[in-house]
Amino acid sequence: MNIRMTSSDKDLRDAFFDELYAIARQDPRVILLTADMGAHSLGRFKKDLSRQYINVCVAEQNMISVAAGLALGGKKVFVYTIIPFATMRCFEQIKVDVCCMRLPVTVVGIGTGLTYGGDGPTHHGIQDIAVMRSLPEMTILNPCDAVITQAAARLAYEQQGPVYVRLERGRFPLIYGAGSADFSRGLHQIREGEDITLIATGNMVHRAVEAADILRKKFLSVRVVDVYRIKPLNTALLIKMMEGTKGVVTLEENCLTGGLGSAVSEVLCDSCKGIALKRLAIPDEHCFASGDREALQQLYQLDVSNIVHSIVRWFPQRAEHVFMEGKEDGFRH
Amino acid sequence: MKDNLNFLKDKARQVRGKVLEMTAAAGKGHLGGAFSCTEILVALYYGGILRLDASRPRWEGRDRFLLSKGHACEALYVILADLGFFPGGELENYNKPGCLLGGHPNRSIAGIEADTGSLGHGLGIGAGLALAAKMDQKDFKTVVLLSDGECCEGSVWEAAMFAAKHKLNNLIGIVDKNGLCVTDIIEDCVALDPLDKKWIACGWEVVEMDGHSFDDLLTAFERVPSDRPRMIIADTVKGKGVSFMEGNIAWHHGVPKGELLQQARKELEII
Repeated sequence: MNIRMTSSDKDLRDAFFDELYAIARQDPRVILLTADMGAHSLGRFKKDLSRQYINVCVAEQNMISVAAGLALGGKKVFVYTIIPFATMRCFEQIKVDVCCMRLPVTVVGIGTGLTYGGDGPTHHGIQDIAVMRSLPEMTILNPCDAVITQAAARLAYEQQGPVYVRLERGRFPLIYGAGSADFSRGLHQIREGEDITLIATGNMVHRAVEAADILRKKFLSVRVVDVYRIKPLNTALLIKMMEGTKGVVTLEENCLTGGLGSAVSEVLCDSCKGIALKRLAIPDEHCFASGDREALQQLYQLDVSNIVHSIVRWFPQRAEHVFMEGKEDGFRH
Repeated sequence: MKDNLNFLKDKARQVRGKVLEMTAAAGKGHLGGAFSCTEILVALYYGGILRLDASRPRWEGRDRFLLSKGHACEALYVILADLGFFPGGELENYNKPGCLLGGHPNRSIAGIEADTGSLGHGLGIGAGLALAAKMDQKDFKTVVLLSDGECCEGSVWEAAMFAAKHKLNNLIGIVDKNGLCVTDIIEDCVALDPLDKKWIACGWEVVEMDGHSFDDLLTAFERVPSDRPRMIIADTVKGKGVSFMEGNIAWHHGVPKGELLQQARKELEII
C-alpha cells in the first residue's frame, strides 16, 4: 500500500475523508451517503463530487438499505453518521441487506466510546463493537492515528464485503510512521515488553503507550499491542504476542460486554492458554454522568493514572516471578 | 388480448396449485400471502412487464424485481422454476434439509435479486438500485412488492420520501393490500388508510386497482412513467382462490391437511 505523509495535527475525520476523497475522484463508483452528519473535509467532497455525495437526512435505516441497493447496482458505498445511529438504529438493515448479501458497503461511525461526553447514552458509542462483532461477514477497523486512519479508508475501499470503521474525532499523536506499517495483519506490537501484554484499540492505544512508559519506570515491562482490526481478529498473531508474558490486560473505551476484552478472553479460552487476563473497560451500565470525554474516562478509571494503578494492583498477585526477580519495590507507592 | 388474459388466469391457477402442493409437502409456508399476490406476480413475469432472461439471471440489462414481502416466496419460486431460472425439481425439496429453496428468498437462488424476509427493507434497496441505474444512465426498471402490513414499518416511509426526492420514476412499488397481518385486521391495529393519500403525500404517483384483475394490473404497469416513482395499491384477498382461506387470518401460515387439503385441490382444479 502506498501511504502518503500525514501530519499528526490532522483531525482523524479529515485523515479518513481526505483519503476517501482521493479514492472517489479516481473511482466514480464510490458513493458517500450521510445521515445528516458533517465533517470539515466533507465540504470538499460535497462540492467537487456532488454526484457521489448524498445526504439521506435523518433516516439511518433507509441509508443502509439504499446503500445495499446501490451496491447491488455496482457501486462501492460508504455511509456515515454517529456510531449509535450508524450501527444500532439500523442494525437489522446492516445484518440482512449488507452482511447476508456480502455487499461492499462501509459503515463509518463517528464518536467512539465517550466522545460525546455529557450528551449521554443516546450518543455514546460503547456497545457497537459488541453488536457489530456478532455479524459473520463484518470487518471492523478501529484506527488510532492519522496514518492508519487514512489507510483504513483504502483498506475499506479495497475490501469486497462489509466493513465497519470506528472513526475518532480530534487529533492524536502519530503511532505509525508513514509507509512503515503493514496494515494487513490486523494488529501491531508498538512497544516491546516481557511482563504484561497490554492490548488496546482506538484512542486507548495512546493511553496504553503512556501507561507502559510509566510502568517501565516501576520496573514492569509492558508489551503494547494495537488491535486496529477487531474483526476478523488475527488470532494466531495475537496468541504469539500474548505468549511469553505472564499476564494480559485489555484496554478499551467500550463496555465490558462483548468488546475487545471479550474478544481476547475468547481467544485465550479457546486456545487453552493459561494466561491471566484483566479487562479495563466501561462497566456494564449506561453513563448518565455529565462532563467531557476526559472527565468520563476518569470516572471509569480509563485515564493514564488509573490504568497504571489498576495494572499495578492486579498484576503482583498473578506473577510471582516479578517478586522473585526482586522487582517488588516497583509496586510500593 | 382475451387469449392472453385466459393464459394469465390459467397460469395463476397453476401457480396456486403448485404452491399448495409445495406447502403441504413441506408442512409449512405462507399460503395466504402467496395467494393474495399470485396475479401480481403472474402479470409481472408472464405479462411482458419484466425484461428478463432466465439463461442469464445476472444479465446487467435485466429489470430488477424485489419481493420485499419475502414470506410469499413460494409463489415466486414456482414462477422462476417454470421460466427456467432453476430446475423445477427443486420445488419438491422446498423447505427440506439441504434444499435450495428456503422459507425466505436469498440471492443464492437464480432470479432472486435480494435477501428478504424481514419487512421494511425492500423499498430502500429498490430505491438504491433505481438510483444506481439513474447514475449510470441504465434503462432497467426496479419493481418492489410490499405487503400492507409491511407499510407499518417506518423504514418504508423513509424510503418513500427518499425515492420521491430523487425522482426515481424507474422505481415501481406495489402494495399487496389484503388487509390482514399475521394475527389481526390491520385497520384494527393502526390507521393505515387512506393509504393512497399517504403515498401521494410522500410524492408518489399512485394507482389503486383490483389486484386480482389482469386488466387492471397490466394497465397500471404499462402506464407511461411520470417524473415520480409509482405506487400501485393492489386491493387483494388473502388466501385468494381457496374459499375457506379467503380473508381468513388462520391461513397466514396455516397448512391444510386431510379433507381441507383435498377441498383446496379441487377448488384450484388440480385434481
